[in-house]
Amino acid sequence: MLQLELTIQGLINGSMYALMAVGLTLVYGLLRILHVAHAGLYTLGAYIAVLIANASGSLLLGAAVAIPAVGLAGMAVYRLLYEPILDRPPYVALIASIGLFIVMEEAYRLVFGPYGETFSTPYLAGRLAIGPIGAKGAEVLMVIAAFGLLTLLALLARRTRFGVAWRATVSDPAMARSFGVDTIKVRYVNFFVASGLAASAAILVAVLNNLVEPTMGSVPSYKTLAIIVLGGLGNVAGTLAASLALGVIEAFGTIYIGHLLDRDAIAFLFLVLVLMIRPQGLFAAK
Amino acid sequence: MSLLEIDAVTVRFGGILALEQVSFALEAGELLGLIGPNGAGKTTMLRAITGVVAPTVGRIRLDGRDITGLSTDRRVRLGLALTHQIVRPLRAMTALDNVVCAAGHAKTASFLRALATRHSLAEERRAREFLALVGIAEFADAMPSAMPLGALKRLEVARALALSPRVLLLDEPLAGLNHVEAARLADTIVGLNRSGLSIVLIEHNLGEVLRICQRLVVLDNGSRIAAGDPQTVIADATVRAAYLGQEAGHAAA
Amino acid sequence: MGSYELSLVTLAAIYAMLALSLNLITGFCGQISLGHAAFFGAGAYAAALLSKSGGPFVAALGAGMLVAALFGLVVGLASLRVRHDFLAITTMGVGFLFLGFVRKQKALGAELGISGIPDHGLGAWGLALLAVALTVATAILSLHIRRAWAGRAFAAIADDEDTARTMGIDVVRYKLVAFVMGTAIAGLAGGVFAHFTRFIIPDAFGFTVSISILAMVIVGGIGSTWGVLVGAVMLTLLPELFRFINDYKLLIYGSLLLLVMRFAPGGLAGALAPLFRRAGTAAGGAR
Ligand SMILES: Nc1ncnc2c1ncn2[C@@H]1O[C@H](COP(=O)(O)OP(=O)(O)OP(=O)(O)O)[C@@H](O)[C@H]1O
Ligand SMILES: [Mg+2]
Repeated sequence: MLQLELTIQGLINGSMYALMAVGLTLVYGLLRILHVAHAGLYTLGAYIAVLIANASGSLLLGAAVAIPAVGLAGMAVYRLLYEPILDRPPYVALIASIGLFIVMEEAYRLVFGPYGETFSTPYLAGRLAIGPIGAKGAEVLMVIAAFGLLTLLALLARRTRFGVAWRATVSDPAMARSFGVDTIKVRYVNFFVASGLAASAAILVAVLNNLVEPTMGSVPSYKTLAIIVLGGLGNVAGTLAASLALGVIEAFGTIYIGHLLDRDAIAFLFLVLVLMIRPQGLFAAK
Repeated sequence: MSLLEIDAVTVRFGGILALEQVSFALEAGELLGLIGPNGAGKTTMLRAITGVVAPTVGRIRLDGRDITGLSTDRRVRLGLALTHQIVRPLRAMTALDNVVCAAGHAKTASFLRALATRHSLAEERRAREFLALVGIAEFADAMPSAMPLGALKRLEVARALALSPRVLLLDEPLAGLNHVEAARLADTIVGLNRSGLSIVLIEHNLGEVLRICQRLVVLDNGSRIAAGDPQTVIADATVRAAYLGQEAGHAAA
Repeated sequence: MGSYELSLVTLAAIYAMLALSLNLITGFCGQISLGHAAFFGAGAYAAALLSKSGGPFVAALGAGMLVAALFGLVVGLASLRVRHDFLAITTMGVGFLFLGFVRKQKALGAELGISGIPDHGLGAWGLALLAVALTVATAILSLHIRRAWAGRAFAAIADDEDTARTMGIDVVRYKLVAFVMGTAIAGLAGGVFAHFTRFIIPDAFGFTVSISILAMVIVGGIGSTWGVLVGAVMLTLLPELFRFINDYKLLIYGSLLLLVMRFAPGGLAGALAPLFRRAGTAAGGAR
């Protein structure tokens, strides 16, 4: 029974990772940038949602404002920070992104205080149970949201003209451009969608813990980097698999090797091991 | 015993068979032309010789010594030097420093020696000579980003020469040069060869190849289709078909 | 100088050593490392343990250096498998792994760290002088390497390692040497640090510290010994001297990383170099 509980807990966490990591891997696929500041946008989403929800009394309104607002913020990060340094060596954007992430975290701490915000009325706190297995409402919503949003994304990418252009640009920008795809527009849309997904993940986490704090992005920020490398940078399906796998591995790891290694280091243990055996990532096409 | 022996080398990239059982040898003091249509496998052969790609099957010997398993830098220290078809200058250094760095190969070969030695006047002098030899002395203090392709091509040659190699492997050194520059560099290559350097020359400029090479090896589709003295090889029906096939292909396209 | 000023000097010297040692790996050899604090920590823990078990101070420093260098050799070997972005993430992973491991080891005091590290016996002045002397030695080593043939070989590898190979440079050996040298010095800094604070906790060697060290290198100017030295001293002392800054320390480090990468990737050294060059030409072109 413990095994089952751990697996479910792992899949719930894995869903959260997936919502964040898919956007991150798309950014990498498109621009070869390790977008650490993604986690700063994630936290921004939670703050906007909690502030609006508490002011208006409606979580739905909070989410409806936060998700597109963070999407726009993501586009601004691309335009103001990354675009001017795209032709520099890869570490330049990475370090700039780390800098931005630190600035964002510190800004949240200075503006909203270090202790965090809570929802004035907790949402989805009840437990749902099927037989002996149970999960919190917010946890169930997390899994549903992850699968729903990512399926929707996959459908859009496959069925719409723009989706096709997008996928073409991720796999070969020069080729896509020669076919008349507006690759700049693809980048903006990509940042909008990726950031919106991160915001929705953050809102769900905020609801789940009933807490929004300045450092809530710290753990996912670097861990999702590990995930997208394991998933084979730029590979969406691989990233999904890696997210869920890591969620489950962490859940089991905490129980079985928790006395040796901190939970948050498990991802990196796997990362380092995998990179030593397959330097191009777990699911990368050779 | 030949200086460089290529013994039944096969190179496979995934599904692509880039080289299949290719053998040939370079004699000491020889200037050998390695020719063939686009995609024939010439660059791949050079990379196999220098160890940038590993042959799936086959052996490569330098002076009778099997070097197949050695790293690229080791092979270079044993006396191989190559120029890249697509230029690869060190972009953060001047042209002169690019060549100086190669000219100091004896000093950089051991870390302790490299740590203990600072003087580089002799290497700088030699580097300037090589730049002058290939005709780009005026670019000595230029950064590669400010040099035209023709000059970068010749920088590749100067840098390879600075390694004082026993075998020089040149991958299309004349491409990107105008008619006069190409003829001049070809003459320089002949001069180097006369002074005792053994050279493998990959080149699409058949006019210059026929003028300067003593022997040719022809690749097509990863296989050796001919070898021998230039006039005979170029008259060979298979060789003509390989080149003409390509021409015909172009005409049809 | 009062004891407060002395402790600032010591701290600045320790961070300068760390920044210079990272500069050997990232600046000279071009191998980005986002986990340098792990080697600092390995040295600190090793030195602290040896001291606590009764070993002399010098032996403790030596042990810190040795343990960090061995750890550095392992990471260096791992770095041979990966490049660029993958290397950045691997070294970041090594940092998190080190922290995640130390936090759970009872023998290392777990979350509480190691306290009661014995007195080094040099006095505050002695320790400050030692730290400064070690920093000066590291700077001299860096300046020497840059001028020696080893510096050219490192520069070639940092520029394009495949081309460096075709120039006969043993890339594997040079990279390992860079990692071992850089991490050994970080370990030495760790030993000094452990005896300076006489109390260490895992968080003193976390990712934030790795990034702070990197910020010093980048703000100073990657590859420039003088720049990195100035960057390290500046970033260590500013928040201490202006107490009101202390609360914004990370904000400043983050903004500097962001702004330098966005507008002046050469850092201080890169921004000032044209001025020096002009002054040099005016003074008759002396080099
Ligand atoms: N790294 C690689 N991966 C996959 N295929 C490769 C690789 N390098 C070369 N090839 C393939 O191997 C074949 C031989 O290529 P190679 O570059 O050796 O030809 P070449 O004779 O030098 O041609 P060119 O005259 O155009 O320079 C080509 O079909 C090429 O596409
Ligand atoms: Mg070629």
